[in-house]
Amino acid sequence: MSTLRQAAINKLRARVIRRHGRDSLPISISRRRIYILPTRFGVMLAAILAAMLIAGLNYNSNLALAFAFLMASMALVTMHHCNRNLLRLSVDVTTEVDAFAGREAMFEFELRNASNVDRRDIEVRCLKAAAMGSVPAGESESIEVIATVAQRGVARVDQFELRTRYPFGWFYSWTYVQGPITIYVAPAPAGTRTLPSAGAKGTGTHSEARGDEDFSGLRAYEPGVPLKHMAWKVLARGGEAAVRSYSSLAAQPEWLEWSALDGMGLEARLSQLCLWVLESDSAQRPYGLRLPGKEIAPSGGAAHRFACLRALAAFGVGEAGGAGSQ
Amino acid sequence: MITERVSYEQLLGICGCLGLALLAHVTTLPFWVPAIVVACGLIRLGLARSGGGAPPRKVLFIIAALAIPLLFVRFHTFNGLVAGTALLSIAAGLKLLETKTRRDIYIITLIIYFVSLAALLEGDSFWLLAYLIGVCWLTTATLLRVTSSGPAPGWRRSLRYGGRVLAQALPLALVFWLLFPRFAGPLWQIPNDSQTAASGLSDTMSPGDITRLALSDEVAFRVRFASAAPPAPERYWRGPVLDSFDGHTWKRATSGFSVGAPPMQPLETAYRYTVMMEPHQHRWIFMLDWPATWNLPAAVLTHDYTLTQPDPLSRPVDVTGTSYTRIQSWQPLTRNERWRNLQQPQGRNPRTQQLAQELRGAHADDMELADAVLGMFRQQAFFYTLTPPKLSDNSVDDFLFNTKRGFCGHYASAFAALMRAAGIPARVVTGYQGGTLNPYGDYWIFRQSDAHAWTEIWIDGGWRRIDPTAAIAPERVERGLADTANADDPLVSRWQSRTAWFAGTRLRLDLLREIWRERILDFDQDSQRKLLEMLHIQEPDGQKLVMLLAVGMALVLGWLTWQVRRELAPQSKDIAARTYARLCARLAAAGLPRRMYEGAEDYALRVARQRPDLAATVTALCRHYSSLRYSQPSARITLGQFQAGVRAFRPKARPRPAP
Repeated sequence: MSTLRQAAINKLRARVIRRHGRDSLPISISRRRIYILPTRFGVMLAAILAAMLIAGLNYNSNLALAFAFLMASMALVTMHHCNRNLLRLSVDVTTEVDAFAGREAMFEFELRNASNVDRRDIEVRCLKAAAMGSVPAGESESIEVIATVAQRGVARVDQFELRTRYPFGWFYSWTYVQGPITIYVAPAPAGTRTLPSAGAKGTGTHSEARGDEDFSGLRAYEPGVPLKHMAWKVLARGGEAAVRSYSSLAAQPEWLEWSALDGMGLEARLSQLCLWVLESDSAQRPYGLRLPGKEIAPSGGAAHRFACLRALAAFGVGEAGGAGSQ
Repeated sequence: MITERVSYEQLLGICGCLGLALLAHVTTLPFWVPAIVVACGLIRLGLARSGGGAPPRKVLFIIAALAIPLLFVRFHTFNGLVAGTALLSIAAGLKLLETKTRRDIYIITLIIYFVSLAALLEGDSFWLLAYLIGVCWLTTATLLRVTSSGPAPGWRRSLRYGGRVLAQALPLALVFWLLFPRFAGPLWQIPNDSQTAASGLSDTMSPGDITRLALSDEVAFRVRFASAAPPAPERYWRGPVLDSFDGHTWKRATSGFSVGAPPMQPLETAYRYTVMMEPHQHRWIFMLDWPATWNLPAAVLTHDYTLTQPDPLSRPVDVTGTSYTRIQSWQPLTRNERWRNLQQPQGRNPRTQQLAQELRGAHADDMELADAVLGMFRQQAFFYTLTPPKLSDNSVDDFLFNTKRGFCGHYASAFAALMRAAGIPARVVTGYQGGTLNPYGDYWIFRQSDAHAWTEIWIDGGWRRIDPTAAIAPERVERGLADTANADDPLVSRWQSRTAWFAGTRLRLDLLREIWRERILDFDQDSQRKLLEMLHIQEPDGQKLVMLLAVGMALVLGWLTWQVRRELAPQSKDIAARTYARLCARLAAAGLPRRMYEGAEDYALRVARQRPDLAATVTALCRHYSSLRYSQPSARITLGQFQAGVRAFRPKARPRPAP
């Protein structure tokens, strides 16, 4: 039974993709893509309603029939309300997600409710994980779905689902959104080797203390920069968002080399490199990454860290790998 | 989310709903059924209060093992309405006890819905329906609180939401109710386990029995005459005829004779009428004396002209019939019947026997003899009273020679006994006499207080009605009991204290009840056919009804979809803003949509540049809007003028110039 159901759901999901293609986000959910079915509770209610109807007819009781019809009509009204709970809800999602293999990835969904009616108990399902949230009338709400990703690589979620059983749990309506989310799953940081520089010139960590203090100029803002490095005055004057950059003269750029880890397995090597990236990043010293066929020039900051981690995630796998379905 | 544990709050809500639903059954269920359910609820609530979960399964099994055999002993079946309701209630109580998750509460809500419906299979008052819809509303609001993830919405909010769903369901429910095909009879035999006690007249009568009914306001039946009603002395409604006498009590002989009334020759005019019986759990139907035709196929007229149907009357029923107030019997009394209507208990009421012999000696003619007895009632110190003294076993002797105070039953009993002792076949007839006209609805109400007993004697080859009460208290027959009894009769002063206003109100309420019955309770295939005829549908039949149901449903569902979606649209309460939005929409339709960042004045400027033909109007309207919006209220233009201006503004799209 459940495999039959699963097959039907898979078929539907494939059909939705064929029919609607990729959605441009944010998307307002139209009535044509909302599906609705009774829940198990709803099926039980239907059975009770049928029994009520038969009892009313058998006893020829007009009052009992009136009650049964009222209940049945309430169920039909509820169906409309359940459907409406998703209707014209605007959905957006962070399309790129970073994670480490074996750990949790956080998917952030932004639901905007421009209507006059509260949307309650909306469940977002993505990669077999789900989170619930409500969006009051005229407001936005961000819902975070946390899912565990196992495999290093670059995965894509082609489709996520919005689902609701509101108001009475008799029906559930749902919709699929094709807003591809790319998940960069970096290798799990692990390894026993110390940073290459650690052996050669001591810890190198004492130089970074001054590093922050040597203002060397402005560079363009990129996400992930610490707030205290923002050039607020420039922004206030009406300029572009900018970041003060500092040169850490004392720190020599560190090269994290694939070739330095000869003799280890592929994943172990990547894990070691990942650990090094994180260590260098937290030590706030510039570092570069050299992989076969890819080189990232030494730098620092969150954007650089992400670039390195993504390079590690993508190493050896095409971007094709998709975690498509949940 | 389903597996989430239930909270004390949620349990309290659902317990309350279950309790309210069971309250509708409290009169029919054996008292210990609600008691068990309430106990289960209290135990579970107590456990939840102290932070505990459901009690161990063992407790459930013990309660079930006690309650279910007890139910079976009480009802011998689980098939009947009351037994089924009792079983469901116990099940709900047990479920309540073991409630751990939301799913358990879901099951209980379903039971509440069904138990509410079951109450409507028994009761039929408007208030019961209203009460149970209220229970359903409350249960649904509770369900909303139970199903919601995160903090549950407040009670007021939940009730408002539930109320809105209920209100939106009403039109659809009405369409269903009006157009869903009704069947003539039940789908299968209804198990009759009705616990309701029989009311009104029974098939036995001791002298004091009818006195008890005299104090009851309960309606026995209502009657609508097709034309004029017969005069008061002819308004005798025939019920059970009692022909077996043991010296104290009259009984209806039930076996050993043929069914079927002897044919009769109607005299005088026929009265056509509809009698609307209230269920009284007996098999007879009260018809005007003497019934000739009726439209209830299953009912038969027994040998004593009582209309009887095969099953006890457990639901209201309407019977349309014809009666003649005077008839002539064709057939002579059979020997068997003569014997039965003359038999008297041996050795009882000796003084009555003696009196009868004396009267027989003085009057050879039967009618003269009967008149002499009536004259005796009139001339001697006999009194008509609602509070007669209790009579001994020789009730007739005691009444005739000792107490001399009695109600209609005493006089009828004594008169029939005297006639039999004198060798004239006689019997007691019980039924209703008089009635009250409800002038607001033009129908007659017969209450239990109109119950009456009279006699029939066989004279000149036919049964003839003699009402001894008419001899002692003619006003009882002429005007009814309320005007009859003496003011010093303490039980009667009740009536006299009633003002005209009270009586009028009571009649108006009765009219409402009658309309409720006629329009709602008795709505059937026939009513549906009339409904279709009203809609000018030719040759109404079931198929057309179903088609109409489909059309009606489609219409109402369409309305519902529109209604439900309409609530989504952000509707500004600000009329000026709404009117401005309309102006923008019209311009957008003409190919000039307002840009997100444009204020009213900038928009007007751009429109003026692009469409010089619209410039004047748009500039003026936009300026009006700005002044309404941002100036003092003393702005020269009023809101009404602005609205009118926008309403009149209908820009035409200009065809794009060819590139």
